[in-house]
Amino acid sequence: MEQPQNLRVVETLAWKLRRRQLVGSRATALETLVVLRQVISKSRFSNIEQLVSIIRGVGRRLVEAQPKEHSVGNTVRKVLHHIREEYHTATGGSTTTTSPGFSISKFVMLGQPRKQTALPKTESKNTIKENDPDDPDAFARSLKPVLMEAIQDVFDELETVYDNVGKNAQNHIHSDEIIMTLGMSKTVESFLISAAHHRNYTVMVLETAPTYGGREMSQALSAAGISTFLVPDSSIYGLMSRVNKVILGTHAILANGGMFAIAGSLLAATAAHVHSTPVVVCAGQFKLTPSWNLYHEYGALDFGDPSQVLGFEEGALVDKVDVVNPFYDYVPPNLVDAYITNDGDHPPTSIYRLIKETYDDEDNEL
Amino acid sequence: MATPAVESAAPVASGSHPSQKSMTKAERRELQERQRAAKLAQKQQTQPADSAAKAKAKPKPATPKKAAAGAEAAPTSGPDTSRSHAIASADHEADSSKRSLRIFSHFGLPKNGPGAKGDIHPCIIRLALQFSEFKICGANARCIATLTAFKTVIQDYTTPPNNTLSRHLMTHLSPQITHLVSARPMSVTMGNAIRQLKLEISGSDIDLPEQDAKDLLCQQIDDYIRDRIIVADDVIQDFALKKIKDGDVILTFARHVPSSSIVLLHAHSRGKRFSVIIVDSRPLLEGKALLQALTSSSTSWTLSGGALQPPLPPIPCTYALLPALPSLITEATTVILGAHSLHSNGAVFSRAGTALVAMMAKQHSVPVLVCCETYKFSDGVMLDGFGKNELAPSHLFPASTPTPNLEVLNPLYDLTPPAYITAVVTEAGLIPPSSISSVNMALGRSSLPV
Repeated sequence: MEQPQNLRVVETLAWKLRRRQLVGSRATALETLVVLRQVISKSRFSNIEQLVSIIRGVGRRLVEAQPKEHSVGNTVRKVLHHIREEYHTATGGSTTTTSPGFSISKFVMLGQPRKQTALPKTESKNTIKENDPDDPDAFARSLKPVLMEAIQDVFDELETVYDNVGKNAQNHIHSDEIIMTLGMSKTVESFLISAAHHRNYTVMVLETAPTYGGREMSQALSAAGISTFLVPDSSIYGLMSRVNKVILGTHAILANGGMFAIAGSLLAATAAHVHSTPVVVCAGQFKLTPSWNLYHEYGALDFGDPSQVLGFEEGALVDKVDVVNPFYDYVPPNLVDAYITNDGDHPPTSIYRLIKETYDDEDNEL
Repeated sequence: MATPAVESAAPVASGSHPSQKSMTKAERRELQERQRAAKLAQKQQTQPADSAAKAKAKPKPATPKKAAAGAEAAPTSGPDTSRSHAIASADHEADSSKRSLRIFSHFGLPKNGPGAKGDIHPCIIRLALQFSEFKICGANARCIATLTAFKTVIQDYTTPPNNTLSRHLMTHLSPQITHLVSARPMSVTMGNAIRQLKLEISGSDIDLPEQDAKDLLCQQIDDYIRDRIIVADDVIQDFALKKIKDGDVILTFARHVPSSSIVLLHAHSRGKRFSVIIVDSRPLLEGKALLQALTSSSTSWTLSGGALQPPLPPIPCTYALLPALPSLITEATTVILGAHSLHSNGAVFSRAGTALVAMMAKQHSVPVLVCCETYKFSDGVMLDGFGKNELAPSHLFPASTPTPNLEVLNPLYDLTPPAYITAVVTEAGLIPPSSISSVNMALGRSSLPV
């Protein structure tokens, strides 16, 4: 049998990621999910370990292709988590070794308070046969439908992420407020537009050089009827004293509550911090990433195209200077006041708990 | 923003209207909308008399507000709701446009094509055009250009009969100044220089022959440019040189004569070996000019002092836009900035973005030096870069085409609070920003009449 991580679909996606033909955390998450669904439906396995190792192999291949698209790994982790969950339900939780009764040491050891509450069922359904020598596909046959359903759930979550993030927008934006935002973020855009259904407010969009995503954003917002101002990045500090709230998008939320976001976010967040202006980050939960960034100087160590900063029209200069164009900023958790996700609002201090609930610890390294 | 007249109006058109002329455009539109809706209501309702009571009792159909607002007065969901939505949407529109105007109304936007009023000297008209097109830009350049133009104006001036030069010349100059200000708001440097010029005009000797008096004034203008700007820059270079060590990484923002280019080139020619990070930002992208200046240092052997000198090694330069600043600030050892003006509370009014650079430097404990001649000091106190600012004309720096809801703003300046500044390099020495006011006193200017 062909190695699952070498399947055609996996290879195609890996190369797309590698060539940056596919960018953006939601797009990559959706594509990953499609690939995982195909892999699961095609592969043969006769016990849970085999299935998990197949998915992990695929995940490793995709993450290696583009380690900076964190949502690829996150989606794989989430699917693994769901697979285990479905498996536990199907086998009646016979494999969980949890015993009732709380103790601090158990709590710490498990690191997953949610599982403590799931009491082990006394009777095992035993409808699923693992490692059946007579019929090696029996296990896969009985589990696949549930797995497809689980993946469909993840799909649905990704499909509705914008609506759900914007659900409570009017609680965060009040009438006559001045909001500052930057870059082009679909999540922030839908959040602001959904708030505009209820509130009348003004948005200042920073241009966000050198990608100038802010220009696109300002067009989108003004087309939706929001009073919009497009300002250059240099006036962040000058205008901050009149801004009521800074609303940012993000690329990945890290386990310590910090985040990777488009370059310029750290400037805006720092300026907001010194002006005591709240910083709110809108993101889907598929951006929760179980990793840390404490020591990287250049954001996520990802660089954009230098010709966006100093183009070849400055021919005489090009070979005399170093041009730096970091793509992301790392915004530390103390600069963020709240994360608005598709599943409620969270302070940065509780992100680690969300991550523990969403993924299994053993998947942090795929 | 409902006027009392609108609020009190009954759903069916009320009797008393304010005269059409006294109403604003939005109000007139509102009235029109209301009348249309009222007509509609009369047509559709069989009992127009108690329509108001019915409208209150009837629960409103659940139409999305946005759709109703977008469709203006489209009578799809019953006359009562469409009317109220139409009024609400008119309110919103008037409100939002008013509000945006309110916030930024004080930002001085240069008027297009300053019309020459009165007796304006041609060289002033040319200068005003250069100002408004940003051909001459930067505090020093504008001040020198203004003073040079005034020299021509003074030379071409003849005192009318029955008047003295010391009393009349200023009335001749003030429309010229007004014309320049209409092209671009006056900078502090120009204000200080003009104030000095006024003082000298009023102090000129009545008994002096006219040509001599004019020559004397021109001499005084030249002295001012030499002492307060040219020589001051040389002294500042020498002071700043002492703060640059071999192996330093100097971070600088945009281009400010004298700070960046001259100080750095001077230090480089004195044998200091350092690298430079240039952070730049729209709308002006002045850093490119600095980059040009730093990288175009000569690469050939030069003859100086009777001996051939080897070419200087090039200055290693890094160029980045403002959003990259947090990634680069960790590498910098010194930040050198320029200033448009300094205020007596120590605040630095400078090119937009300077405050961000100083803020990040402070956070990373990198010393911030502000290079500034004392003639840029202002007696006033400034607390906020928002209060007094200037907008770059968007036709010169296009970013995006404005649409009905979209406005493009390019503020040119911001204010750096004194807490972010380590030292101010002036021709009077390196001083902390808290001592700005005492330098003002020492130069004996604070008590001068405006």
